[in-house]
Amino acid sequence: MSTSDEESRGVLRSVLPPEQVDRFLSTCDAYGWQLLAISTLAAAALPLLGLEAGYRMTVFTEMFLFAILALSWDLVGGQTGYPSFGNMAFFGIGAYATAILTKDFALSFPVAFLLAGLLAVTFAAVIGVIVLRLRGHYFAIATLGVLLAAQQISRNLDITGGASGKILLQTPSGETFYYLFLGVLVVEMALVYYLSGTRFGFVLNAIRDDEEKATAMGFNTTYYKTAAWMLAGLFTGFAGAAYSLFNTFIDPQTAYNGAWNVELIAMALLGGSGTVAGPVLGAFGLHTIIEIVETYAVGWQLVLLGGAVIITVIGFPNGVVGTLSEYASQMDYYKHGGMAATDTDDGSEVSADE
Amino acid sequence: MSKATSGPAPDTDSGRAVLRTDGVTKRFGGLTAVDDVDIAIHSGEIIGLIGPNGAGKSTLFNCITGALTPDEGRVYLQGEDVTDWPEHKIARAGLGRMFQETRIFGDMTVRKNLLLAAQEGGADVSSLMRRPDSSLLARTDELLDYVDLGGLAETRAGRMSFGQQKLLEFAMELMSEPEILLMDEPAGGINPSMLGNLIDYIRNANEEQESTIFLIEHNMDFVMDIADRIYVLAHGERIAEGTPEEIQNDQRVLDAYLGRE
Repeated sequence: MSTSDEESRGVLRSVLPPEQVDRFLSTCDAYGWQLLAISTLAAAALPLLGLEAGYRMTVFTEMFLFAILALSWDLVGGQTGYPSFGNMAFFGIGAYATAILTKDFALSFPVAFLLAGLLAVTFAAVIGVIVLRLRGHYFAIATLGVLLAAQQISRNLDITGGASGKILLQTPSGETFYYLFLGVLVVEMALVYYLSGTRFGFVLNAIRDDEEKATAMGFNTTYYKTAAWMLAGLFTGFAGAAYSLFNTFIDPQTAYNGAWNVELIAMALLGGSGTVAGPVLGAFGLHTIIEIVETYAVGWQLVLLGGAVIITVIGFPNGVVGTLSEYASQMDYYKHGGMAATDTDDGSEVSADE
Repeated sequence: MSKATSGPAPDTDSGRAVLRTDGVTKRFGGLTAVDDVDIAIHSGEIIGLIGPNGAGKSTLFNCITGALTPDEGRVYLQGEDVTDWPEHKIARAGLGRMFQETRIFGDMTVRKNLLLAAQEGGADVSSLMRRPDSSLLARTDELLDYVDLGGLAETRAGRMSFGQQKLLEFAMELMSEPEILLMDEPAGGINPSMLGNLIDYIRNANEEQESTIFLIEHNMDFVMDIADRIYVLAHGERIAEGTPEEIQNDQRVLDAYLGRE
């Protein structure tokens, strides 16, 4: 409490006091479920309030799509500390699965959608056992290899339509996809939010911070990271499964899109990886920027995207949400006193305990 | 081989030891880092492990925890042969470990660090998927107050000072209540006043919670003060075992530390 004069320092602090940010963030935290419910209702109400199928609805749908991808990436990349450059492999498998199942096997879209998710999870389990032995750069490179191999396989096979891909004409309406992507996103957010408060979520974070220590504490880390990887595979696979029909066309380049893989990582990092809201807000924000640039400065979107990434990584290395919460809690530590500063007090406190 | 010193200690009943090693040997290429070491630690004891740099102390710890698998010999925890168990399974069977370089989960809050330690018992899905209950939260507050970190529960653990992180790591071990706690240089790198606190905490844990503690230490005042018995390693071999007084007067130990063979 004696540090109140320190707070007056800095313009930012007077405009935006850390206490208020802290209060705002803890309110968000305390009412997380309510916030999620309200946002879901608001998003679900948009088409009823006059949002019609067309450009705007497509943009919203894509925002939901990227939020799913970024949040899935973050479950492994941000929460568990395994940065994957191959998440789009799950997406591609999901996308081709629905394309083939609905077109060649005449299955209904819902059935194909569920089967596609199942296929992506199975693939994630098999690949996970192999690549999750690696860490850091090696893991990143290995996952990129998986993505490139999967892309090449879809180019070579007949059933995937080879390099020219598949055109899909019998597709549900734009509104269906709006609600489908929204639904998948909400379910995923609820799941990740819930898990982040459980021991399962704690173990994932522990693996990110110090996997050896987590093992020494009695956690079979392989089991936890594979589970997270499979969850990421499931939701990315679902996103892909809906995307092929939403896009009415799928080819190796779109299904296993390496540029998207970078984009969704950027979204998670910009928003704040390791959080639930971060990747989602990052996806919404970045996708909005990309859409604006595509409308008003055609051809410059990648340049601006790169610029935005560089500025954010330098200015907000923890992403928007991470930087905010770090800012909000920066005074906490000093308020409660580092031990180094109050050694004499500590001595008397200990003797009082005895 | 130093068979002369590796006989069973007179007052030990090795069948009931919390932790026992039987001829543990670990080689790295041509180097024998740990050479035929026998150790027995009983419930409620504080045992020191000392020796010059490179004597094989940390390697012995790694063989016990399962981070390394011994080339020869067996490790028994509560009478059970755990030599070939994976590290996480040994930990779950009741072996706690504090590393030489303090290791906490830096990007998680102090409270989450503690909660993680508390719940390491079961691996069933229902306990994994549950949120921590209020009695656990109360326990974390209690332990944080105990080690003078009260009020820092929601702080990112990595923000704290090195000494505070060490205290947190110790609190995590108190939370998990292991059958035996292996500490690698607990006194390393913390300031003298905090060292005094740490000694009190270790003693209290030993006396009140009957914790069994096995610690590597270079700070001789500290280890002579706190340990009931001490094992001495040199060149991977166990060269002496006894009370702090016996060790201080042991010629082989003095020779080892002074570099005489």
